[in-house]
Amino acid sequence: MKHTKILAPLLGMVVCICVAGVSDSRAEQVSLNYRLKWLFNASVAGDIFAMEKGFFTAAGLDVTVKEGSPEKDAIKELELGYADFGVASADQVIRALEKGADVVVLAQIFQTNPMQWIYRDDQIQITRLSDLQGCSLGITYGGNDETVMKTLLAKAGLTLRDVQVTGVRFDFTPFLKKQVTLWPVYRNSQGVILAEQLAREGESVRFFNPADFGVDFVANSVVTSGKMAADHPDLVRQFLAGLLDAWEAAMDPTNQEQVLAAVKKYDKGTQGEVQKAQLDATKDLVKPRPDTAVGRIRQAAWAQTEAIMLEQGMIKQPVHVTSRLRDLASFQ
Amino acid sequence: MLFRRIYQFIIVYAVFLSILLVVKKGLSLSDYVIPGLALILETAVHMSAGFFTDVMDTLSVAILGQIISIFLAFFVGILGRKSSWAGSMIRVTAYNIQAYPIVALAPIIFILLGDGFLSRLLIAAMICYFPLLLSVLGVMAAPVENIEHFYITTGRMRWQLEVKIRAFENLSKLTTVIAGSATLAMAGTIVAEFIAANAGIGYSIRIALYQSDLAAILTALFMIGIVISVYQGILETLGEMVKAKWGSENKGELL
Repeated sequence: MKHTKILAPLLGMVVCICVAGVSDSRAEQVSLNYRLKWLFNASVAGDIFAMEKGFFTAAGLDVTVKEGSPEKDAIKELELGYADFGVASADQVIRALEKGADVVVLAQIFQTNPMQWIYRDDQIQITRLSDLQGCSLGITYGGNDETVMKTLLAKAGLTLRDVQVTGVRFDFTPFLKKQVTLWPVYRNSQGVILAEQLAREGESVRFFNPADFGVDFVANSVVTSGKMAADHPDLVRQFLAGLLDAWEAAMDPTNQEQVLAAVKKYDKGTQGEVQKAQLDATKDLVKPRPDTAVGRIRQAAWAQTEAIMLEQGMIKQPVHVTSRLRDLASFQ
Repeated sequence: MLFRRIYQFIIVYAVFLSILLVVKKGLSLSDYVIPGLALILETAVHMSAGFFTDVMDTLSVAILGQIISIFLAFFVGILGRKSSWAGSMIRVTAYNIQAYPIVALAPIIFILLGDGFLSRLLIAAMICYFPLLLSVLGVMAAPVENIEHFYITTGRMRWQLEVKIRAFENLSKLTTVIAGSATLAMAGTIVAEFIAANAGIGYSIRIALYQSDLAAILTALFMIGIVISVYQGILETLGEMVKAKWGSENKGELL
């Protein structure tokens, strides 16, 4: 009885201390929303790995990673306060800047744009841009691929009139039926699936990469608002460091099994072999060489992207996008 | 009626736009999130002509789709009006087809028919016809006993007469539903164009969406609203004329 009288308050104190400790650790964690550009799959392996393996938690952050879709626009969500960080394509960033949005680029996830054209290697050989003359190709009207293709054709002294254009829709029937020779795909997602599908039919494919012909149009990048970068540089540094560490780890071949297991958890519909091939393709685009730092921002590519958009009339005046590029070092 | 439709739409659109502009001002949003009035007007001046042609293109498909859906709804409604096994089977099939979301059926439609005119027409008709079918079934399955009783007892009742009696006794309901289904036909065509066509206002909206161009989308919505208001106004006027000529208040002259 006597012991109980002493132990009860002690136990109470211990419980209080424990609860307070938990509350404190929770209070220290800052809650953030991170909006992706597209659905969960191997092409966002680093983002998935960051939340699954606690990279954000280790950085003292409680980050909710949200899937994207064509209707979701991370830059708009930053401004509306629905997201604190996001992934946006370079053309979205440049258009947003032209319309007065306060957005800054923190990291360039893909060093090579995944948007490429798939073709059967027995149908055409593309060694020069002039090889495109007369061939049938798919473009998404209003999409990035239209801009890129027009630029490529212009470099060869051609226009869309010199090729046979088919408007791209969501299924690959025109390409599978061989009605169209070159079809735009995301190299590391749709490209992998199509290549596997055609390989089963005994057909081999290649990818026409605009960057190989001097058109370096930047793809997805991590963005935040200028206000966030100015007012909370520590938070931006913590988030970016955690995210880039996760991407580095996800691209490391020694972690492949863990990465695939994490991706599988979120992308249940894709088969394991396809996911592995998608991850391999993603690695080539994110970390093309072992010494490439993940997230490296290539100013020249951004400047070229803006110049292309200006030339194609997608923006009316220069936005000086290179002045909106920040990397991790600028927050140290 | 026609002008009332148009100015009512303009009032609704103006209120909607004002709310957007108040939100923009209140939250200090950039033109990227919600475009300012100047940008909307500039875009409208620049794109109105092209969008008008697109809307007319869409409307032409929508009208055809609506006509098909009216025939289809009457066909299924007349066949399914009986409480027989066959009638019930037809009704169940019609309801089940409607239960599938059009975006799930669209890939099959596009594979079979391509991404041109026929796919747009079929999707427009599919979206438009179900509310019509419900009304037609409701009308056709409900006997007008005080009239039908006479023909049944005198042995002169035929199925064509039964359909006529029920249609003319419910002419007001049917004309209202047909006029109302115009918006559904238009919406169906726009959905088809948005998913995978290469013409029409839905296709233009898709491009604007790719380019995050809300000013263009607002311009497109205005054009769609105006055109559909005119079309609906015309249908309502025609409905009034039909009712005045053949309605039950005129003793159903055709009977």
